[in-house]
Amino acid sequence: MFHKVFQQIDQHAHIDVVDAHCDIPCGIYDPHHALIGALTVVRMVDLINAKVKEHGSGSTAEFINSMARYIATKEEHAELTKHEIRVIWGDFIKAPHVEAYPQLPGLVHKIMQLGSKARQTVDRETALDLLEAVNEFAEIFWQIKEIETKRVKAPYSVTEEMVIPVL
Amino acid sequence: MLRLLKVRGESLWPDFHEGDYVLAAGVPFPAHRIKPGDVIVFRQPGYGTLIKRVHRVLQDGRTYDVRGTQVVSSDSRDFGPVPKTRVSGKVIWHIRSD
Repeated sequence: MFHKVFQQIDQHAHIDVVDAHCDIPCGIYDPHHALIGALTVVRMVDLINAKVKEHGSGSTAEFINSMARYIATKEEHAELTKHEIRVIWGDFIKAPHVEAYPQLPGLVHKIMQLGSKARQTVDRETALDLLEAVNEFAEIFWQIKEIETKRVKAPYSVTEEMVIPVL
Repeated sequence: MLRLLKVRGESLWPDFHEGDYVLAAGVPFPAHRIKPGDVIVFRQPGYGTLIKRVHRVLQDGRTYDVRGTQVVSSDSRDFGPVPKTRVSGKVIWHIRSD
């Protein structure tokens, strides 16, 4: 009751803020970058396999250059996905969240392993498994924040499903 | 002097949450002597006005080792002890948001 009273006071007469900072001001977390990373891994796997199908294993400079770029991007985005999930896991997820969603530790570990496997291979199923695991993580993340989600076809060059918040 | 303040950030979670309000009493007052466990409001250069819990009162009696509850909290482990001169108040009433 007191909190509502003070909220009303705050709306009319601005109450000064006092910071309980962490390593940086807290509060801005979103699994979106992790999803973009996972979708990019799928896209790079598609491009690599298409290039091989088109050129065989020919070692032209153009082929090698394209392949190097695809692989580097796949490496980078698999690692980006792992990094983003680690930050949310380390800085946002608290003990009560793990109690409420006991599958979280296993899911995070699964994402770490799939991220590594996606770097090692050009297996589309692995890339899709990574994306699905990140989608499941995103659904839990938004449930914790009490924000509804929906699955939509990604509006990119890969159109796999991605979880987005309904804002 | 009393100040009403709103908490931003989660470094004192689960004791304090983002959106909580606190009433801080200005110091020094004998009744508001600062001791370990108290939550204080202070100005920290480069950080602004912060709220943290007093972990220890150092031997000189004029500086405080302050801590958050989170491993990643920015506190005396980062910026050193807080001199009494920068302390603007001690929390005497906590209005929770939940």
